[in-house]
This record gives sequence, structure tokens and C-alpha cells, in this order.
Amino acid sequence: MKIRIRLAGHVCGLMFFCSLAACAPSVTDKPGATPAPRSDSDTSANDPRAGEGQRGGTKESETGSSSLKQMQEGKSSATPASSPLKDVFYEFDRYDLSADARATLRANADWLKSNPSARVEIEGHCDERGTNEYNLALGAKRAQAAREFLTTLGIPADRLSTISYGEEIPVCREPTEDCWTKNRRARFVILQGRSTS
Amino acid sequence: MTLKWLLAMGGLLLMAFGTGHAASAPPGVTGEIVGQGGQRFPIAVSPLRNLGGNSAESARLSTGIADAMVHDLELSGWFKVLDRSAYMENAQTSGITLGTFDFKDWATIGAEGLVKGGFSVQGDEVAVELRLFDVYQNKERVGKRYTGRVRDYRRIAHKFVDEIINQFTGVPGVFNTRLAYVSNSGGRFKEIFVSHLDGSEKFQVTDNHTINLSPAWSPDGRSVLYSSFKDRNQTLFLFELYSGKEIKFTPRGGGRYLSGKFSPDGQTIVATLESGGNTNLYLLDRSGNVIRQLTNNPGIEVSPAWSPDGKQIVFVSDRSGSPQLYVMDLASGNSRRLTYSGSYNTSPEWSPKGDRIVYTGRVANRFAIFTIPVDGGEPRKLTAESFDSEDPTWSPDGRFIAFTSNRAGKYHLYVMQAGGDNQRRLTGSGGDDTKPHWSPRLD
Repeated sequence: MKIRIRLAGHVCGLMFFCSLAACAPSVTDKPGATPAPRSDSDTSANDPRAGEGQRGGTKESETGSSSLKQMQEGKSSATPASSPLKDVFYEFDRYDLSADARATLRANADWLKSNPSARVEIEGHCDERGTNEYNLALGAKRAQAAREFLTTLGIPADRLSTISYGEEIPVCREPTEDCWTKNRRARFVILQGRSTS
Repeated sequence: MTLKWLLAMGGLLLMAFGTGHAASAPPGVTGEIVGQGGQRFPIAVSPLRNLGGNSAESARLSTGIADAMVHDLELSGWFKVLDRSAYMENAQTSGITLGTFDFKDWATIGAEGLVKGGFSVQGDEVAVELRLFDVYQNKERVGKRYTGRVRDYRRIAHKFVDEIINQFTGVPGVFNTRLAYVSNSGGRFKEIFVSHLDGSEKFQVTDNHTINLSPAWSPDGRSVLYSSFKDRNQTLFLFELYSGKEIKFTPRGGGRYLSGKFSPDGQTIVATLESGGNTNLYLLDRSGNVIRQLTNNPGIEVSPAWSPDGKQIVFVSDRSGSPQLYVMDLASGNSRRLTYSGSYNTSPEWSPKGDRIVYTGRVANRFAIFTIPVDGGEPRKLTAESFDSEDPTWSPDGRFIAFTSNRAGKYHLYVMQAGGDNQRRLTGSGGDDTKPHWSPRLD
């Protein structure tokens, strides 16, 4: 979409003494002002829709897939009640672990010890309040706090990776304290056979 | 301050054009026009006259260009556009140049300013001439002729309104600009869009069905930097709007880029890198290579933004125990805390004039937009706390702030004057529109 804009010769000439420099050249000649069509084909190799689909075993389904994949498939990212790894919850704008959170992590650690081949991705999530970027950082802190506690309980760090989804993938969408409480969580997803790097 | 013709300036500006020099206003006349006491300048915008070329588009262009100008003039908050139904002339038969129409027809209805124009269509091209008249003095203030594709007619209107504002304030308007923003369009994915302030020329930058966040313009207005989960691990992508080319920023040694902002000279980017749960600020080149690490703290350091001279950045840190704004001098690396009131202050942007920083602050369990002097001092709250307002971004002239707010239910984009007056909604998609970033002035 090209648009050329210049002072009109005749308007210019009538109104003011007008030099060629001011009147003649295009003030604007932007090539292709319409942005080019978007192509994502170059990223298909890393497309999360493809990347996580290889379910090596049955363990992944116990915790559900990553929240991103659940969202892409139109499913809730809520941890299934049958999951052996339970969510850990946090206070607003906090990433320290409450007594309840530590108890949950101990139970999760017990399961990880009795399932030594399982690798887990810990997702950090936030409620919708605050800015997206701060919440991404906060979610990273929450996931890391859970990871560090699990390692102090003897789980090898290389079995535990982290990712933050900030406030982007809530399990509950009402603007209520009850909902926010559910969203401020660390979630544990079993990545059977996946690298944790 | 009430909007008035720059009487002494008018001639100077025109002479400046005439000699081919850039029009620049002398000091003292580029004042802000803010304050509820300010009277809006009464102006009439006539539908455009069809000067030749018959096209199915003619009726749409005649009122469409006028409507686009009316929208911008109203959005500025400085003008009261007189209702078209009161206009006495027939726009298709009356003249559009000085001496070919009667100023009394416009003085009678209370107009002090008048915009008239005409257009002709040839194929896909339209030529438009527009003039601004001073009704009291029976004078022409400025006239311009534009050519472009018919479907870009709104951009022609934006450019002439920018010129009208230049005539009044000595500084061009900012209507030929775009906002980059995030929208879920009512669905579950968050994609990046760019559009003009009036929603026209809307373009979808991403369509990867994941989460895309934090769009930021390059200073030349040709690229948008954004963060995305499209390759699963969040990182930054630099998308060239006109070529479709894209660069992925891959952090060396792992980690994830959460957001980035271009320096004013466009040569470097300040970015947030998350690694091992910690977030720190890094200076990157345009290809995403690390030039140097700017912060090294165990806490959260996010949302950096540049001072207009490129010598300082303002950012968010929780090093005090809650998110607060800090200012860092890049040469020395020294930081100072800027905000002390409130327990949650985020998403800062430095005014293009350099004097104030706009940010989101939490007050009474809601989020509101504040500005604070760069040297500290009393914050000024610009939005009410009966709803949430977040993600402020300055217009390139520093006279307006765009932001997102849920005051009408969903999050929509709004614009207001830098002092908080004239808050107006810009978008109304079925979804949530958030994270606006205002482009530089465009060609």
C-alpha cells in the first residue's frame, strides 16, 4: 500500500513562496506500507503443538499435558484429581512456601522417589492481577522455589525443569479471590522421556 | 490553556515550508493544552467535494475522510467539532479554495476553524486536497495535497489532522501512528496486532495459536519486537512488518527472554532474561546477542524502558520486597529507587519529553495509571480506582497516554491526555486488548 504525500504544487504556489525542495519530492514513499503476510512455517520444527505430542508412556496423562498444550487443545489446565503430583499454592505477590505447600511438596517428592525415571516440569502460575511481565517473573520464582525445595528433599535437579506461564493460563477465570487463589500455583507435569534441559 | 491559533506562528511556519526548511516552533509556543478548564476550539469539517472521477467509492470518500478527521480531532480533546447537520452549504457544489465560498455560512454556526477539501479518484488511486481556514480572519492557514491508494484514505485524514494540530500548537499531532497490542479476540490465544488509533489498517502480526506478549516498536516504526511461547520456551522475536522477516532471539546458556525495548537510536535493546528463576536486565544488539548484563540480583527485575536520551533506563524490581520503579544510569550502572508510595508499581514508560514516568500502580485493590517526576516526588493518579487501568504507553509527542482498562467489562484500549483528561475508548473487539505500545510518528 503505497502512499505518496507532498505539498500540492498549486496550493503551494498560490499560498506561499514555495521552493522545489519543499514541494516537488515525495515526502513519503514507503515501500509496501501493508505489512507482509505472516509466516510461521519456519518455526514448525519447534511447534509446541507438535513437540509435546510424543507420549512415551502413560505417566503424562496422569498429570495432564503442559498447560500450554492443554490450552491449545481447548482443555482446562487444571491438574486432574487423580494426579499423583499435587499443585502448590502461593500468596499474592509471594513465592515463599507455606507449611501447606511444603507438605504437598514432600508428598510429591515421595512419589518422585518411588518413580525414579519420571522427569517433571514445574510450571509457575499467577493470578491475573498485576502486569504480565512481572507475573512471568513471579511465576518463574514460584516454580524455582518448588524445584529448590524438592532438590533439598533429595530429588536430583536434572529431573526437574521449570517454566513460567505468568498469568497467561489460569484455571479459573472469575475476578474473585477464590479464583485468584486457585491460579497462584505451581503445577507438576510429568515429561516421560523428555530432556529437561 | 485554551487552544488558540498560533497567530504569530502561522506565517512563520508557512515561510519555513516555503524555504524548504523543517518547520520548527520557537520556544514558548509548544505548550501543552490540558486541563478541564480549557475550552475546546470550535471547528467545522465539511464533507469533501468530488472533483472528478466517478467511482462507487465517491460517497464513502466524501464523508469517510471527513469522519476520520472528526474522530481524530475529538480524540485529541482540543477541538469541539460542530455537528454536520448544522452546515449550511452543499459540500458538492460550494468552493473549497479561498474566495470561492462564504465564511459567513460558517461563522453563523459558530465555527472558528474550518476544514474543506476535495478528492478525485482514478482507478485505485485517490488525490485529496485539504485546507484549514481561519473563519474569523477569512484566511487560509494551510493547504496540502495527498495522493495514495483509495483504501488508505483514512491515513490521509490522519496526516492532515497532524498538520492542523501543528498549526495550533507548533508540534504536529500523533494521529498518523499505530498501536501494537495484544488481543485474544475473544478466543483463548493471545496474538499481536497493530492498527491505527481508530482501529483502521488492523494487521495481525502473529497467528501461532499460543501466547504472544509485550509488543514493542523499533524507533523506525518498521519492526515489532515481541515475546512468544510459540517455540514452547518463551523468547523474543523481531518481526519486520514490511518484509515479513523475523529473527528469533535465543539466549545463550539457556533462559528465556520475557520482554525487550529498543533504545531510542534503535541500535540496542534492553531485555529481561529469566534464568534459574531469577530475572535480570541485559543489553542486546539488534540480533539478540548480549552486549552486557545490566543487573545481577537474586530477585525480580523486569519491564525496562529507556529515557529519551538513551542514557538511563527505568525498570521494576522487587529488591525492596515489593515491585517498585528504579532508575539506572547506564554509564555508571548505579540505580536509585523512584517510587515509594504504594506496594505494587509496575510497567513504567519514560515520557518522550523526559520529565515524567508513567506507570501502573495498585491502589485499593485496583490498578491505576500514575505519572511521577523522573527525579521523584508526588505521583499523580490519572485514572479512577473504580476499575482497573494498566499498561500505559506515551504518544511520541508525550501529550497523550494510551492504556488498557476493564471499565467497560472486557479490557479495551483507551487514550487520554497526559494529564488524565479526555479518556476515550479506542477498541471494542470481542476480546481483551492489552499491552499497547505506541509507535513513533510514521511516514
